[in-house]
Amino acid sequence: MKLIDIASARSGDKNNVCNIGVMARKPEHYAILKEKVTAEKVKAHFGELIKGKIERYEWDAIESLNFVCYQALDGGASRSLRMDTLGKNFASHLLRMEIEI
Amino acid sequence: MKTVKIAGGQGFYGDSPNAAVQIAKAKGADYIVHDALAELTLSILQKDKLQDASLGYARDIELLATSLYPLAYANGIKIVSNSGGLNPVGAAKKVAAILAGQGIKGYRIAVVTGDDMLPQLKSIQDAGILLENLDSGKPFSENKYEVLQSNVYTGAKSIADALAQGANLVLAGRVADPCLTLGVLVHHFGWKIGEGLSQQDLDRLASGIAVGHLLECGGQASGGNSYAEWPMNYSLSNLAYPIAEVAEDGSVVFSILEGQGGKMSRNTLREQLIYEIHDPANYITPDVIVDLTRVKIEDIGPNRVRFAGAKGKSRPGKLKLTIGLMEGYMSEQFFFFSWPYAYEKTQRFIETAKEIWSKLPLNMERFEFQLVGLNGIHGAAAPMPPKEILDELNEIGVRVVIKHNDNRTGKMALQSLFCLGLNGPPGLIGMPGWGKQDKVVLSLWPSLIPRNWVEEKTEMVEV
Repeated sequence: MKLIDIASARSGDKNNVCNIGVMARKPEHYAILKEKVTAEKVKAHFGELIKGKIERYEWDAIESLNFVCYQALDGGASRSLRMDTLGKNFASHLLRMEIEI
Repeated sequence: MKTVKIAGGQGFYGDSPNAAVQIAKAKGADYIVHDALAELTLSILQKDKLQDASLGYARDIELLATSLYPLAYANGIKIVSNSGGLNPVGAAKKVAAILAGQGIKGYRIAVVTGDDMLPQLKSIQDAGILLENLDSGKPFSENKYEVLQSNVYTGAKSIADALAQGANLVLAGRVADPCLTLGVLVHHFGWKIGEGLSQQDLDRLASGIAVGHLLECGGQASGGNSYAEWPMNYSLSNLAYPIAEVAEDGSVVFSILEGQGGKMSRNTLREQLIYEIHDPANYITPDVIVDLTRVKIEDIGPNRVRFAGAKGKSRPGKLKLTIGLMEGYMSEQFFFFSWPYAYEKTQRFIETAKEIWSKLPLNMERFEFQLVGLNGIHGAAAPMPPKEILDELNEIGVRVVIKHNDNRTGKMALQSLFCLGLNGPPGLIGMPGWGKQDKVVLSLWPSLIPRNWVEEKTEMVEV
């Protein structure tokens, strides 16, 4: 299945850093997120789009994971040549990730 | 317990005033906060100011001064905003003139300044402060671009001071987004702010910052831009913005006005809480470092959500300084191809464009060709459809985008492609007027400065 089946997401920018919040749709999905959606998998899913490291924060109080992605926005909104200058659709792309259960 | 209602009225410079106007009409809040400054907005405002020294503020205040501001004044609602941008004094003069023209009297506009560090940038460096780039670690001495503006993110105290002086409207400069709300709370409840605070004081401030963060993007906290609530079974054309009822101890209930679109739920609030946060245990603001890891968000009724549990740590010794730089130019243009061979035609077009450019004296830093409909948004990360689907696509757009170092290259490069309407792959659709030529590229240099360099000031303009 895909991540979108068990989670929603929202992403945003701070200069060249993009954070992607991933929220479990139901509390019981959170354990799956923690086990399956690792920083390494996210990095591989985004490939060249994210040039730097990814830090993952577990946010138990809201059954969410927060991925902070460095060198992710082609230099930041002002100088980016991308259409999605603010990384608003990093959330969309992550939700397409395959999850094996 | 004493409570106060604060509404998020605007999520960015140019946001619709509709939700805030409805809140003001319904007397749905005591205060409305407007965050007008995204990271890049000051650089955009600097472009205005370079053309006309009386500008440099968020120009939608001119519209708000004929709609929201008089209505809020009549209903006893105060407005707190950082719409002053790079020129809060100019903003206040403009608003005062518009309000006076409507016969309004006794209106007090507070101007909060002190965030503009451009005049001191040299002395700061001379004092041995390296202004290392928070992303790259490089000292500012290595910057090679022209400096356009330099502003420091300031805190809530000046907002609280302005309200204490009886302001009906606060027009600040680069006050950090959530500190607009915290300033209201510090004023309203007399919360302590600064150094040497108790844990209880810090937790209240943390709660105020959390509320500010949840309000600062307007409709994003009440069901807008929402995958959590997709397919969004509510009106989007009349989306309600969030209202926080905050108690003196820092506990909060969020709601929206009845009869509008949108939704207030644990889900909608949760997805705004995580927006543009890095480490949830250390959300750094000028007034307090906030630990959001133990928050409790509960649905307590239809469109009513209780929020609690933000914890505070002492404020940081340094404040964030951003320096806006003039980094060059960019140009872009769109071209489209339809069935048959749509995909193959885009590839031939791109190949030909590169051949044409290779023979011209272009001062390009880099360029990209993006396929709108296939990989325009996700670039190389987008999975390409199999050949049989590519061959049958109805249409594909090509976005040509170039970063260049002078203000002539973009025009030359794009004009050199227009001949392909007759010489290129069949059926090319050019879109005159769609592109941008030689647009200035501004960039940000984020850094930190010790807070003793910063002195905020509040003054009053009366109508």
